[in-house]
Amino acid sequence: MQTSSEAKRLVDRVLTLAGATKGAEALVRVSSAREGNTRFAVNELTSAGDVERLTVQLTVQFGQRSASAATNQQDDRSLDDLVTRVVRMARLAPENPEAMPVLGHQSYTPAKTAVDPATVKLTPDVRAKAAAAAIAAGDAAKLGMAGFVRHAGESLALGTTAGLAAYHAWTTCEMSCTARTPDGTGSGWAGLGSNRMADLDPGALAKTAADKATASAQPRRLDPGRYTVILEPAAVASLAAFFAYSFDARRADEGRSYFTKHRPGDKLFSEAISLRTDPTDAALGATPFDREGLPIAARRWVDKGVVTGLPYSRYWAKKQDKLPTGVGGGWALDGGTATRDELIKGVPRGVLITRFWYLRPVDLQTLLVTGLTRDGVFLIENGAIAHPVNNFRFNESPIQMLARCDGLTATAIPSGGETDGGFRVPALRSHEFNLASISEAI
Amino acid sequence: MASPDTSRGNYHIDGARLAGVKLSRRSFLRGSSAGALALITAPRIAAARGLLTEPRLDDLVKRTLAAATKAGASYADVRVVRIRTESIATREDRVQHVASGESYGVGVRVIAGGAWGFAATPNVTAEAAERAAKDAVAIARANAPFMKRPVTLAPVPANVDVWQTALVKDPFKIPLEDKAELLLAVNREAMKVPGVKFTNAYYSALAEWKLLASTDGAYIEQEIVRLSPGYAVTAIDDKRGEFESCDHPIAPRQAGWEYVEAAPLVADARRIAELAVEKLKAPSVQPGKRDLILEPSNLWLTIHESIGHPTELDRALGYEANFAGTSFATPDKRGKLRLAAPFMTFFADKTTPGGLATCGYDDDGVATGRWNLVENGVFVGYQTTREQAGWIGEPASRGTSYADGYGSIPFQRMPNVSLAPGPKDRSLEDLIAATDDGILISGDGSWSIDHQRFNFQFGGQAFWEIKHGKKVRMLRDVAYQANTIEFWNACDQIGGAKSWWLGGSMSDGKGEPEQVNAMSHGCPPARFKQINILNTNRRTA
Repeated sequence: MQTSSEAKRLVDRVLTLAGATKGAEALVRVSSAREGNTRFAVNELTSAGDVERLTVQLTVQFGQRSASAATNQQDDRSLDDLVTRVVRMARLAPENPEAMPVLGHQSYTPAKTAVDPATVKLTPDVRAKAAAAAIAAGDAAKLGMAGFVRHAGESLALGTTAGLAAYHAWTTCEMSCTARTPDGTGSGWAGLGSNRMADLDPGALAKTAADKATASAQPRRLDPGRYTVILEPAAVASLAAFFAYSFDARRADEGRSYFTKHRPGDKLFSEAISLRTDPTDAALGATPFDREGLPIAARRWVDKGVVTGLPYSRYWAKKQDKLPTGVGGGWALDGGTATRDELIKGVPRGVLITRFWYLRPVDLQTLLVTGLTRDGVFLIENGAIAHPVNNFRFNESPIQMLARCDGLTATAIPSGGETDGGFRVPALRSHEFNLASISEAI
Repeated sequence: MASPDTSRGNYHIDGARLAGVKLSRRSFLRGSSAGALALITAPRIAAARGLLTEPRLDDLVKRTLAAATKAGASYADVRVVRIRTESIATREDRVQHVASGESYGVGVRVIAGGAWGFAATPNVTAEAAERAAKDAVAIARANAPFMKRPVTLAPVPANVDVWQTALVKDPFKIPLEDKAELLLAVNREAMKVPGVKFTNAYYSALAEWKLLASTDGAYIEQEIVRLSPGYAVTAIDDKRGEFESCDHPIAPRQAGWEYVEAAPLVADARRIAELAVEKLKAPSVQPGKRDLILEPSNLWLTIHESIGHPTELDRALGYEANFAGTSFATPDKRGKLRLAAPFMTFFADKTTPGGLATCGYDDDGVATGRWNLVENGVFVGYQTTREQAGWIGEPASRGTSYADGYGSIPFQRMPNVSLAPGPKDRSLEDLIAATDDGILISGDGSWSIDHQRFNFQFGGQAFWEIKHGKKVRMLRDVAYQANTIEFWNACDQIGGAKSWWLGGSMSDGKGEPEQVNAMSHGCPPARFKQINILNTNRRTA
């Protein structure tokens, strides 16, 4: 990953080249990463790699005409080519009434400890040992073990011909593992993300996955239906994402969103439910500015159950006479004080779900989503886990999941599968959750 | 949020994930796809130069392989990859986004101490590539103590060749204004239909050039060009606060601009717009078991999910358990499991003309081919790589190794997987005429399948009620949900060769870190008896 001065030098080189064209406004984005990853499966290490990445993206505007191009080369000839190409494309592009002038100087509030130096310096042997610890846990429990360890140091720098200069650097890491019983009837999973590798305990993750695999073996049949559910954080994050990512003022105003009928000020949920974006939460790895360099402030989109507002792009804000909000930032659903076991204790009959898989929107008007349970589903009877049950396909909306929620735990950052570590969520209890059909998958 | 599987349409229409540069290509090979230089075998590097724009890459390749060998690698390959992209997105009367991209880099993969190692750099110099070779060996050595069995590779001939997409018009040379005007013309036509409020027409192209050389003698240069045009039309009912969209069914293809020119994009715009309006007014479907007719524009994705993915060998053996999942099609079921009706044969093919996964050689340097996965209804075959062939006792790889860029590690990826047409010359109209009470679906919509590929649920773009052999009216809120094996065995009629159509996806996800793969799926229309139809309407709930 580039240092602030390396990134600024490259941004300025491109700006100087692009700014030499008369009448051109320019926005340059330079991203860089050094990433390491190790995979394991069938109780062996299967692949590992270290990769450097760089992207120089240039947007040039002549009034309302605009175009973008990117390269990953930084020699003089490549940068010259980039500028020539974008200038030519921008001149040919039809006028876009939505094009906004590039931004000037801005101020940002980044996370204080976004870069963890130990995670930047991490070497492949540390990843191999983390994987080996998980494999050893699998071997000891006579389970198949598969998983993934990844870490990256990343930077993003922006500059414009109007004087904007932004830089942010951060680290990310994740580890997840899946344990399976040799007879193929049990499977368990655990996965967490952070910006500090020291936060991830390979042995503890492997133990959670292994214990779940053993406990989930030989599931009994449970009929489809509407059930009280305890959703662990990975399940919550993957379904809540469909709600979080649908926040957009323009689509709502245009009549093609859930928020067309549910406007800011509407109370959708109980007071326990608040949804935030927070670029100062270092563990979520979010940048404090959006793609155009607009600052992203920490803010609540749902406060105590009430929708407080929708994000506005610069164009839509201008058109509707609102303030632009910036788009992005790490998402977070506020937690509560219960433990998972306390949530289970209050349930006469229900289902405990580890995570979801293959979620897809079914109806955008109601945010109905389908998907499947995976890697540990258990029947709860009389306030205790009774026995493992089959997997299910669900057809349910994140709106209903949150509207029927009556208990939340402390938050975690699940990572792996369908959630990428950018969402901090609790486990939660909800009711009448539509487990629509049985899946034979283990 | 990771997208675990194939995605086209509203969610991932901006294909600019990768990036690419103008590559000056020699025109003498244009249109002469595979094999023109296949007979030339020595001297290897000089003969294979074909398309190479930078002869200094010969030196880089030699030094990189030598550095890996010297550092202790028992096998090494080097891939130099250049990817160019172009994308245009429009809505209504405006062009929202025009972008192009380029990425260039070197990836080095080695086996040392029986373990894999990989390192990659965007710095395409012999020095940087040698350093990557040494890093890759160091990574392999870090992994070696934790291996239980050393990695072994099935043998492969030392292939030396040049291969490229057969195309007439290089899409990267077509003026930007022409592309923008085509998309705006689509929008204009669609917007003429009352009730239509929004249109989104888009185009993206990706050219992937790569040079693969290995210590097993591969020296292969390929360029693959893929295009993805399309559009969606949205109708709004302001009074009820409801909306519906309909996509054009055009498939992404490996092709030149002539594919876009020949496609009826503008000609179909009014019809697609009228479908969106009619869909918004259509009655909600009555759920229950019904006979189901699927057009190829819908069925390709069902084949992808329920035949393509389960027959990936790494998945079947547990190598993808942590993310993509495992499979019902385990080796003990091979040759025994009746996966489909006895008249159905599904084949894998990396030579299908226009197929997105079609190429001369895979990223292991193995020549591509065609083989059956399901033969006369019985599960018989897997997709394999050089590493995997031995796992099921096969002497040679099927040639399905692929990495989506210089910085990605090659692994098993899906080839084109298709359903062979039936022997009778049957059309979609024949299937409809033969159906007394059913539902017809065209286009792909919402899609989801479990991690062992049993339980799936698919939507579509347009749905019609069939009564007494006729399309009676459109329906909305339709999804079909089934178990893979029951579903394919419930098929009782398929169309003939004339009704066969090639669909596909530019963005199938697999692996950790997730990699993107493009592949096509051909099929005739097909009818399925008594399938579970769901009503997805929760608007009044």
